[in-house]
Amino acid sequence: MLGVGLLGFVMLNGGYLVTVLGLAAIYGVFCTGLNLFMGYTGQASFGQSAFAAVGGYGTAILCAGHGWDPVAGLVVSMAIAGLLALVVGYPVMRLRGHYLAMATFALGLIVYELSVEWSGLTQGYMGYAGIPPLGFAGHELGTERAQLGALVAIMLFGVWLAERMKSSRFGRALRAIAGSEPAAMALGIPVSRYKLAAFVVAAVYASAAGSLFAHFIGFISPEVFGVPMVVLSFTMLYLGGIGTIWGPVMGAVIASLLPELFRGLKEMQDIAYSVVLILMLIFVPGGLAGLLRRLARKPT
Amino acid sequence: MSAALLSVERVSKRFGGLVANDAISLDVAEGSLTAVIGPNGAGKTTFFNIISGALPPTAGRIQLAGQDITGLSLQQVAQRGLVRTFQLVQLFGNMTVRENVEVGLHMVTRGTLGAALLRPRWMAAQERWVRDEADTLLGFVGLGAFAQTQADQLPYGRQRLLEVARALAAKPRLLLLDEPAAGLDTQESAALADIIQQVNARGTTVLLIEHDMSLVMRIATHVAVLDFGRKIAEGSPAEMRAHPDVLAAYLGGVEEAHA
Amino acid sequence: MPDLIQLAQALVNGVGVGLVYGLVGIGFCVIYNASGIVNFAQGVFVMLGGMLAHTLLTRAGLPMPVAAVLATVIVAAIGVAIQLLVVSPMWQRGTSMFAIILATLAVQIMIERITILSLGDQPRTYDNFTPGGPLRLGPITIDYQLFWVLGGGALMVAALWLFFTRTRIGRALRACSQNAEAAALLGIPVGRMLLLSFALSAALGSAAGILITPTQYTAYSIDGPFGVNGFIAAIIGGFGSAPGALAGGILLGAAQAVAVVLFGAGYRNVAALVIMLLVLLLFPSGVFNATRSKA
Repeated sequence: MLGVGLLGFVMLNGGYLVTVLGLAAIYGVFCTGLNLFMGYTGQASFGQSAFAAVGGYGTAILCAGHGWDPVAGLVVSMAIAGLLALVVGYPVMRLRGHYLAMATFALGLIVYELSVEWSGLTQGYMGYAGIPPLGFAGHELGTERAQLGALVAIMLFGVWLAERMKSSRFGRALRAIAGSEPAAMALGIPVSRYKLAAFVVAAVYASAAGSLFAHFIGFISPEVFGVPMVVLSFTMLYLGGIGTIWGPVMGAVIASLLPELFRGLKEMQDIAYSVVLILMLIFVPGGLAGLLRRLARKPT
Repeated sequence: MSAALLSVERVSKRFGGLVANDAISLDVAEGSLTAVIGPNGAGKTTFFNIISGALPPTAGRIQLAGQDITGLSLQQVAQRGLVRTFQLVQLFGNMTVRENVEVGLHMVTRGTLGAALLRPRWMAAQERWVRDEADTLLGFVGLGAFAQTQADQLPYGRQRLLEVARALAAKPRLLLLDEPAAGLDTQESAALADIIQQVNARGTTVLLIEHDMSLVMRIATHVAVLDFGRKIAEGSPAEMRAHPDVLAAYLGGVEEAHA
Repeated sequence: MPDLIQLAQALVNGVGVGLVYGLVGIGFCVIYNASGIVNFAQGVFVMLGGMLAHTLLTRAGLPMPVAAVLATVIVAAIGVAIQLLVVSPMWQRGTSMFAIILATLAVQIMIERITILSLGDQPRTYDNFTPGGPLRLGPITIDYQLFWVLGGGALMVAALWLFFTRTRIGRALRACSQNAEAAALLGIPVGRMLLLSFALSAALGSAAGILITPTQYTAYSIDGPFGVNGFIAAIIGGFGSAPGALAGGILLGAAQAVAVVLFGAGYRNVAALVIMLLVLLLFPSGVFNATRSKA
């Protein structure tokens, strides 16, 4: 309700908030995917930014470099990211705990490094400019507001798909793995295969978010998909509530509006996100969704 | 004499210099309610972990319904019809009681990512069946009223029952119960014994490890006794109660502990 | 075919960097053994050591030994602050290990950004500790600073060894790593030991950063690579073993140097990642005790 009101207000008034909400919707997509892997399956990936980079650069190269249709670029990038996740994930999903965290973190660093070094493909440190806005079959979405509408629609579609995955045999198996791996195995669930599937799904979401970012802003550089992106997305997940359907979106919107309260340097924003994340982790590990649920459950 | 559903041949397990299981053989007859007992440290849990695929044996062979399952993983053993519970309750604490049982139905249902996204008609029908089946099982163990409760909010005794219901959901040919009555009071333990007997009466072969002698003596049809990693005796509960080695190794110890 | 001289030269330099990885790796182990916590912000200490030493040298005009000691003390204090303000509150609440790792990663970003704001984002370096050099051994040149790195590293390892085997506190810290509950029952203040472990590993990282900076450069962003490579060093050594981490670091540094000669500079971290994955998958309990089962 609040979200609809906010969206309506911004749609009518336009301005800078359109960009802010657009980015929130993009992060909503990213975090919804990450949430499937981290929130529901209970695994850690510190390198999802790598798959967002695949989407972002895929779109930049295909659409800006080769004049592809945005939708085609988006889908092909998603397929590449999924494939990459499959290949990388197959060995990596055997790891647990801090090993898994560090292996995925290293993956993010490697892709970041490649995006800087491989300048023939990515235009290096200076970044890739001139990416066309979102559109379909030759029709560009001319205004920012139209783009925002499209982004919100895509995000809602992503959430809807996540909800379908969650409330099914597939989703139950994922959540069982988070609950107790030995018990899941003892019930015949192929644990590593399900982890891999969740990792691939999360990567496909991340790639879509990267592509959408490229279209929405029109420019990407390696910095966009660096470690701060990982911390920001975790802040959103924990702010909204990890392991809930709407938590990631709530977190994305709130965390995106947060810096508007204390505008300033990019560095200040990153510091603010880090502090918020640490405070959430210490004091409200269930996030806002958990807080709301706890309040709702309390007998009045 | 009925055929052996599970046949364990001279299984050994060494941890470094320690011999936890020393050439243990055991046949579990189809339809029986077999119990493995023994004092603490007798190697019962290791034995169970080997049978269920949680640990590979150092030597020996295990067959389930004539199929060799030696060295298979927990998950592969489960897929062949041997489902276990855990000594330390391993519920999916983040899910509701009903969802826990629904996860138990994983092997008897189908459809993964594609089906979850597309939701074909058979999937909807299956989801209805899953829900009904879970509720039936919850009713059977007396947890019907707790279907919506988050599993880790259940009192301990009921968590044990839920674990049994969840294992039953997987329609095991052989159900392995690892100290199911551990930590239960007399009343809870009696209720559990009742349920185990009913499960067995409905045709599921049960193998259980138990510390609680009275429970074993009351419900088991066949008992094997382990001590110091070896099987020292095997037979009917009445025979075991009178067996001198068993008395020396185990029952004597219990009486001492009670004295 | 790269010529052998090039390869030998790379190996010489790789050993120096590898030693730093090893020291960072030991830092991971010290904290992990005391608490089971993996501090992702380990690389931050290396970065801060170099950055602070540079600042104290150039802006405050302090002589190198003073700057180095002061920088290390400050970094150790920062390590203590991280433990007190971030890790300890979570540890006491029994937060999941993953959330603690996440929090330390947030700490890393926070410190990076504060470094940019206060010291700038430009890479910097300072002179070798001893002027002159490099030493020429035939076609191979050895930078004088490398001797400082090796000597300083050896000194620190020796000091650590003495600390853990000969002092009461060191032995208490080891007791914590073996069994925290038993240690608490014996009256060892486990909480204070945790603080000590953070101070110790921060100081180690800082000293390593100060030693290595003249051979390359330091900047706000070097913490990530040093942290990851230090972690890889610890993995190669079988996570938790300090001598293993040291050997693992040197091995990793050398392997990276060779990879750079063979494939090019862009593949430095790719090589490290591949090595890490191979070790994790083939020797889950470390290369040096591959035969020992994880107990």
